[in-house]
Amino acid sequence: MRTKSRFVVVVLLVCMLFPLVAQGQKESDAQKEIELRWASIWVGADSKAPAVEALVKEYNEKNAGRIKVVIEPQPDYNAYEQKVRTSLAAGMAPADIFTIKFNPTTATFYDSNLLMDFNKTMDDAWRATFDAGSVEQSVVNGMLKSLPMETAILPIWYNMDLMKTVGVTTVPQTLDEMFSAFDKLKAAGIPATSQMTGDTNAWTSMIWFSHFAVSLGGVNVWDKPFTDPAFVQAAELTKRMINEYSTADAVGLGAGGSGGHFLAGRTAVFSNGPWYAGRADLAETPFFNSIKIAAVPPAGETKDFMISRLQANICAASSKDKAREAAIVDFLKFLTSSSSIARIAETSGGMFAVATDYRPQIDLQKQFYDVNDTVSTTSFDLEAALGAEVTLEFAQQLGALALGRISASEFCALVDRKIER
Amino acid sequence: MQGATMQSKKIWGARTLFLLPVFILFFFFFIYPFFFTIITSFTSWRGIGAMKFNGIKNYTKLLSDATFRLALRNNVIWALSQGFIQVPLACIVAMILVRQPFGWKTMRTVFYLPNVISTVALAMVWIAIYNVNGPLNAVLFKLFGTAPRNWLGNPDTALFAVIFQTVIYIGYFMIILLASAMNIPKSLYEAATIDGAGTLRQEWYITLPMLRGNLVTTMTLAMAYGMRHFESTFLMTGGGPAYATTTMGIDLYLKMDALRYSEASTAGVFLIIMGTLVITILRKIFGSSDPMSEMAQ
Repeated sequence: MRTKSRFVVVVLLVCMLFPLVAQGQKESDAQKEIELRWASIWVGADSKAPAVEALVKEYNEKNAGRIKVVIEPQPDYNAYEQKVRTSLAAGMAPADIFTIKFNPTTATFYDSNLLMDFNKTMDDAWRATFDAGSVEQSVVNGMLKSLPMETAILPIWYNMDLMKTVGVTTVPQTLDEMFSAFDKLKAAGIPATSQMTGDTNAWTSMIWFSHFAVSLGGVNVWDKPFTDPAFVQAAELTKRMINEYSTADAVGLGAGGSGGHFLAGRTAVFSNGPWYAGRADLAETPFFNSIKIAAVPPAGETKDFMISRLQANICAASSKDKAREAAIVDFLKFLTSSSSIARIAETSGGMFAVATDYRPQIDLQKQFYDVNDTVSTTSFDLEAALGAEVTLEFAQQLGALALGRISASEFCALVDRKIER
Repeated sequence: MQGATMQSKKIWGARTLFLLPVFILFFFFFIYPFFFTIITSFTSWRGIGAMKFNGIKNYTKLLSDATFRLALRNNVIWALSQGFIQVPLACIVAMILVRQPFGWKTMRTVFYLPNVISTVALAMVWIAIYNVNGPLNAVLFKLFGTAPRNWLGNPDTALFAVIFQTVIYIGYFMIILLASAMNIPKSLYEAATIDGAGTLRQEWYITLPMLRGNLVTTMTLAMAYGMRHFESTFLMTGGGPAYATTTMGIDLYLKMDALRYSEASTAGVFLIIMGTLVITILRKIFGSSDPMSEMAQ
């Protein structure tokens, strides 16, 4: 009886282990092909997905038997950011290739040995294809552990159909013109702007604040203490925007609500990046073709600038295997080539740190390129310049500022204590 | 004798074998993270690179942080609201339903229904209800002519608004108490009726004392939930405005978001201490019955 039982156990173990052995054999046969995992956010409904998928397919066909890139879909950006953070903290690269939103908080990732330093693998020809300023902004302590890929400008959007209903036919050029237009909208019962203090970054109001602060304090304003008069004045202007020229639910409102007001035609002025221009629901609005984008009229001495950010930087896992490292570099050279980027831009209308000849056909997307081309300089927004923790404090205290619980000076002092120096 | 020893060894071996998978899971998903959290709370670590021991610096920083103190206060309010409003409400409904009035089965399902709906969906509904242009303001205006309020955007009302939408979902605790109340022998009520006791007296002197064990259990669970509350507040207000609704769980999450892992661990340790403290105090006040064993009954 006992012998029979032992026999059954041995047979079962063999059955369980055989597939593993067979799998090992299979992998050993295909050892020559290097498989690269790309944890990509540009999947599913993302406007970059079709082009990215086609490019990967094309690359795999061209490199069949040598390199194979496998996209690991990451449709939820917050979950994706968590994955990147926790993987790196656990001592593992989240994938061979992945993207980050580059800012002072995520710059901490550069301390990890798990990331490839492109300064060691990048040749001059490849480097020359990138916008030099964006590359420079991506360098931390002499290391280039992420490549600038997607960039963005963050202008103000005007629904000119709604503006025309109160007799405003052109985009305001001065702050007085802007407030005058907003007063007309207010008198007609239309909240002028979609402000918000919710989420972790008070996104749309943070963009307005960034425009005011840079105009008042110069493009290097983010290097100054947050108690600087430029920030205090910018805070007062933002407070005015929320209290006088926004919807009644602005305090505590999230980005979905803020965008929703604009999409529904309830507000006339909005602020966001070029990715919003590719939204299907925006294209379906009756005012889509009337949207004009521009910088906030200058509040201070600095003019002719635009607020910008590095929207997505691409990272790669470091590897002791030279062949693997070479495969990663080979794919990234293909992905960031001028022709590949032009194809991604074509489907998404996005903006990239790699120069291409591409110009969008859709007017709203075209305006982003035009505005970017016409301004003489750019400056980061608050989040891109000062990181997640400072931005969170900004968002939380912005509500208190709008409600009159704290003064603009107190607001700035509270945000200032979160800045690491 | 030898046979008995062999038998005992076999039983012990089988027990170990059956317990091993659970123990391994428990070790990797509780014991290890628990001690890892405690260790990292005494370091300076951003999730990447080497940890640097920095003594109790994180603890002193956390205790002097006004936001964390606010979060702690809010958690205490949450715990008290869940323990002393949600559970009593659940108890009252259970005591009514146990008498099996007309439609009691439907009522039981209706009260429990929100517990099977996702927190995200409920939070979205309540955001719409509390909106300045939402139905709550419309009803209040119609009834009292009050001006619309931004319930979630005002620090004076936001915490109350978020707590209210959680506390009214009594289904989970109601089911526990109802199941317990249904096991109370009918003869006790019959005897009380013969003695001339009315319904309220019967509830006070029979039902409540018989439910005492389960009431302590549900209060302990409710207050423990309150101490580690996160989801609905995070979804509805993100802890704002001006941290008015923040909790220790949200504070911990945001610290991790800012890559302050060691400080997040310190907040985590506080969360564990506060949770343990609440359970201990409750058991001291209401009795020493083991909530877990009562849950299993």
